[in-house]
Amino acid sequence: MKAGRGGRLSRLTGLYVPGRSILHRAPASVKVVGLLCVTLAASVPPPNWWLLCSLGGLVLGMFLVTRLAGRLVIQLWAMRWMLVVVLIPQLVFLAWPVAVATTGRIVIAITAASLVTLTTRTSELLSVFERALMPLRWMGVNPVRVSLVLAMTIRTVPVIADRAEQVREAQQARGRYSLRAFVVPLLVGSIRHADELADALAARGVED
Amino acid sequence: MIDIRSVSVERDGKPILAEVTAQLDQRRIAVIGANGSGKSTFARLLNGLASPTVGTVTIDGFDPSRQAREVRARVGFVFTNPDAQIVMPTVGEDVAFSLRGKGLTRSEINARTSEVLHEYGLADFVDLPAHDLSGGQKQLLALCSVLVARPSILVADEPTTLLDARNTRLVADILMDLPQQLVVVTHDLALAARCDVALLFDGGRLLQHGDPAAAIDRYERELV
Ligand SMILES: Nc1ncnc2c1ncn2[C@@H]1O[C@H](COP(=O)(O)OP(=O)(O)O)[C@@H](O)[C@H]1O
Ligand SMILES: [Mg+2]
Repeated sequence: MKAGRGGRLSRLTGLYVPGRSILHRAPASVKVVGLLCVTLAASVPPPNWWLLCSLGGLVLGMFLVTRLAGRLVIQLWAMRWMLVVVLIPQLVFLAWPVAVATTGRIVIAITAASLVTLTTRTSELLSVFERALMPLRWMGVNPVRVSLVLAMTIRTVPVIADRAEQVREAQQARGRYSLRAFVVPLLVGSIRHADELADALAARGVED
Repeated sequence: MIDIRSVSVERDGKPILAEVTAQLDQRRIAVIGANGSGKSTFARLLNGLASPTVGTVTIDGFDPSRQAREVRARVGFVFTNPDAQIVMPTVGEDVAFSLRGKGLTRSEINARTSEVLHEYGLADFVDLPAHDLSGGQKQLLALCSVLVARPSILVADEPTTLLDARNTRLVADILMDLPQQLVVVTHDLALAARCDVALLFDGGRLLQHGDPAAAIDRYERELV
């Protein structure tokens, strides 16, 4: 059997890609801590070319080692408009080296994060979150429930995106465009989906 | 053993099921009837997603409304739309999700997950986003995620309604071959005909309970 079609969006979300690289084999907790360090190093100290180039080189090197360079290209391409939006106002108000460095920090943080999600199963990532949230139990936070909600959100995004695509196509077929005629069916569909999901959870024995 | 005695269900003062009584011990049970006749409500009684307003439902002696945990360990439920019952991002994770909190080790969970995915031809997709599966594969995944918990009864509410002809056939064949007791709500009369017994609903009443051929015949003669 062959896998069926997949929405454009699901290709960009950076979900786990199986592999055997060192990053794939490293414990999820180590990767999360590493990501935290890279993100802090990129964003906290004042912009410094030497530092940003080494962090960028580190991230790029990891994409090569894990054989995910193709994913990096896809991701940067998907981010292109966001980067333009971030870069232009800065170029107006700041000196260009500062503007480029700030944008570089954002690129490093986002690509480093997707390096982690691409090489780590969602379930492993979630159990790291569960453990990290344990100290908050006394505040009434239920770590298992938080991670369940995160997982279901990841799963639901492409489902809703598909629905949006269907509503848009239906509008196109009738040659009518209006924001309300787009939002209302999408909202109704999403609420029904949430109800069905709640039934499915109950049927699968998730007691709340 | 599914035992339903004088069950009525009302919602907003409107009767949805009326005076339904049935003891079901056959292996494959079809539930047929027009849209709105109460089939889904009947199916949902069996795992406590719906509760009787009057009367009692017991599954192997357990009451689905009061003993939800015991009943849901015995009764697996497959819905019409697989997108609404796959809750985890990837294929393997969704199957493994059904085994959470059952006191199994990680390696036991992995073994049972790959066993069931193998059996239904989804082993190659274990790490794929569920979203990348075709409609038929998604319904198979939903089925795997239910069967991995080893229920003794499987309730399926129009499991093939959203599938194309080929996948309808595939899923129907799998359901018919299951060792579990099967309660399948369906508009696919060919599937109903392959069951051991059929229940025909109309306007919330159980009109006929018995030989599938006779129930289908009456449905086509009187109600279509
Ligand atoms: N929770 C509910 N509240 C109000 N009405 C409902 C509810 N569930 C079902 N109904 C109504 O009960 C009738 C039977 O529904 P259902 O059991 O889904 O039938 P079927 O599955 O045979 O199409 C329908 O008219 C439906 O609108
Ligand atoms: Mg129904």
